[in-house]
Amino acid sequence: MLESRGISVFYGRHRALEDVSLTVSKGEIVVMLGANGAGKSTFLRAVAGQVRKRDGGSVLMDGHDITRQPAHEIVEAGIALVPEDRGIFADLTVQENLILGAYPRRARPSETENMDRVLSLFPKLGERRKQLVRTMSGGERQMVAIGRAMMSAPTILMLDEPSLGLAPLLCTELFRTLARIKDTGVGIFLVEQNARQSLAIADRGYLLDNGHIVGADSATNLANDEKVRLAYLGA
Amino acid sequence: MDIIIIGLLLGATYALMAMGLQLQYGVARIMNLANGEMLIAGAFGTFWFYTASNASPFYALIGVIPLAFAVNWAIYRVLIVPLVRRARNQGQLEVDCILATFGLSFILVGILLAVFGGEYLSYSYLARPIFILGEPYGLNRVAAFIGSLVLCLGLYLWLHRTRPGLALRAVSVNPAAAGLVSINVTRASALAFALGGAVTAAGGVLLSMFLTFDASLGVVFTLKALIIVILGGVSDIRGAILAAFILGLAETTVASLVDPGLTLAAAYLLFMAILLVRPEGLLGRRSS
Repeated sequence: MLESRGISVFYGRHRALEDVSLTVSKGEIVVMLGANGAGKSTFLRAVAGQVRKRDGGSVLMDGHDITRQPAHEIVEAGIALVPEDRGIFADLTVQENLILGAYPRRARPSETENMDRVLSLFPKLGERRKQLVRTMSGGERQMVAIGRAMMSAPTILMLDEPSLGLAPLLCTELFRTLARIKDTGVGIFLVEQNARQSLAIADRGYLLDNGHIVGADSATNLANDEKVRLAYLGA
Repeated sequence: MDIIIIGLLLGATYALMAMGLQLQYGVARIMNLANGEMLIAGAFGTFWFYTASNASPFYALIGVIPLAFAVNWAIYRVLIVPLVRRARNQGQLEVDCILATFGLSFILVGILLAVFGGEYLSYSYLARPIFILGEPYGLNRVAAFIGSLVLCLGLYLWLHRTRPGLALRAVSVNPAAAGLVSINVTRASALAFALGGAVTAAGGVLLSMFLTFDASLGVVFTLKALIIVILGGVSDIRGAILAAFILGLAETTVASLVDPGLTLAAAYLLFMAILLVRPEGLLGRRSS
């Protein structure tokens, strides 16, 4: 289980995130909704060890304190991040990207199994093994990014706006894939602007506003909540 | 014909040297202006080894490669890491590194002068002709060519076939994303820098077999390596190898058809032409 206990991030004097506490367990999908600039990406980057957190808060993974761990150790702890820009190696091939996903020590023994699992999730990647990622479409790049994250055998998979820039049909396919990944026992934490589709597959959700958590409930309750509908669902 | 063969023989050593700088600049993102001094240090080490033991200079590689690796690792840890930590952006890091390694090159020249003196040095190894297509060539040049090819090929295969090699290429392509797959970027950069220095020093070992050198010659090779890396495109090792052979050919052509004194001038002319026409390098892509 991933647990954030009151973490805060400041950029200079600007408060990007304050006192955020939440949990994500294995086998569930948790979504964080919030407007642009609410601090969603900052939260993911803070958990992944890419931005400095203020003293006081802590991040625990299965009870182990990983608050001050560098980014590469946090992957070893079982947390994989797919950032908003996908963070893939565009000048390397699909296969090389996936093999790099298994670079963490935790993932090396199970590399073959994970490769099989990723290729069954995304059969297209199997056909395109030798292709440079740079030459692929946005939807295919997203597959590479998620596939690579899955290669690290994560306990928790975090995704920053995975549906951004995808055509509606690909979006639907993406959320279906995430649901299948959840069924393999991985916990998924996603930050989304596509509230309707993400709440449809999620178990629980948090609302982030101006760096603070302002609401937390089951996905069904959030989808039916009048304020949420007005703010995030546009209805 | 003999121009082409001499050019190719020279190009292989240049390729090795350029691969060294490529690892340092392309992966570790450090523009190392003391690169040529490392090469000359390798040449000096070989001279000392050969005159003392009279064994084949190839055996000097066994000592020079690990020693240069260790020295460059230490340079990265002590001198470069603080600069990387302090730099706010890539531009500032580049300026800091150029100044720091430029200073370092003077320190290394000073050490070489103090230890070996300011004489021009050379030694005679395999100084007999070998006939290729009926024309005689120095056997030492051919030996250096083969040695360079073997090292280049080995390095290329290591980069493309092994997990640590793949990790270095990942850092070169996208250092920000390397942390996402659990690559320790600082450690990978130190490895690339140390390996680059070791490869460059190995280039010095091979060059010393047919070249007369002195302590101040390093800067010439730094500039040559720089030309090759810019010519070939910063991110692609195959481009650097191609560029190394082009430079070797261009230098020998000018030296034998025009005037030996104009080789460096010709190299720069080529360099400027490429910068004007294809600033991204021969095989490089325009960054979007």
